[in-house]
Amino acid sequence: MGPYDEEMERYLKEFRPQPIRALEAPPRPWRKSWRRLAAAAVVAGCAGGLFWFARRELGLSKETTRVRAPDQSVLSERQSRTTLALTALALADDKKFEAILAEESRKSLPGFRGEQSTLKVLAKD
Amino acid sequence: MYVRHGAALAAYACSFGLDHSSAEDVVHQLFMKMLGEKPFTPRAPLAYLYRATRNASLNLRRDRRRETDLHDTEPWFVQHSSGYEQAINLQQALKELPEEQRETVFLKVWSGMTLSEIAEATETPLNTVASRYRYALEKLRERLGQHFQKRG
Repeated sequence: MGPYDEEMERYLKEFRPQPIRALEAPPRPWRKSWRRLAAAAVVAGCAGGLFWFARRELGLSKETTRVRAPDQSVLSERQSRTTLALTALALADDKKFEAILAEESRKSLPGFRGEQSTLKVLAKD
Repeated sequence: MYVRHGAALAAYACSFGLDHSSAEDVVHQLFMKMLGEKPFTPRAPLAYLYRATRNASLNLRRDRRRETDLHDTEPWFVQHSSGYEQAINLQQALKELPEEQRETVFLKVWSGMTLSEIAEATETPLNTVASRYRYALEKLRERLGQHFQKRG
């Protein structure tokens, strides 16, 4: 290994490379994605909770509706009870039965005494 | 390491024909890669950085082959006593050196490694490294003789 030109080396050392800009912190994409993932989990949890709560509430109101809905068997029972009562009345007191029938027919059958009544026209025919 | 060697690495990247801004980008990317998601420490970090800078600079230079070479007058060095002209002459002289000699000069002069350290880092016999350095300084003296003597 021979000697080298030390004077030249000193001359070269007088030159300094141009300063370089500061190194920016290396990006950590995984940190960002963890944050995003955590945020997404929280949002999904909230949405799930709301959905569950809403579903539960809807279920209860359906139950309530079911309870409040008119029971057909009860109605028919009531109806049959009325029929039985009317039969008993017809057997016991005929006049009273006729009066009740007349009263009920006035309530439930269409009248044909009115000016605009179709039944009146038919009755004339 | 970045503070100590970053500027020299950027100047070395410039010796492959990059402008200083691109050279900075090359050096930044190398350090980012070393410090990134999978940090690693090469066996000889400085030699690795010089080799990686060389490869990245050559790749970038090849990609930009068609661009006009307008940055020959952009100085990579600052020298307070002599100024702009001598800096430009020096970088032109460095550009003309063979790659191995240029790398040796950068490692010895601007990264402060001894010849033995360079030999170990570059896995090259010490005598070869010493010869490269000696020849490089001789060529630089020839090339810069006029300016060098003016200064003397």
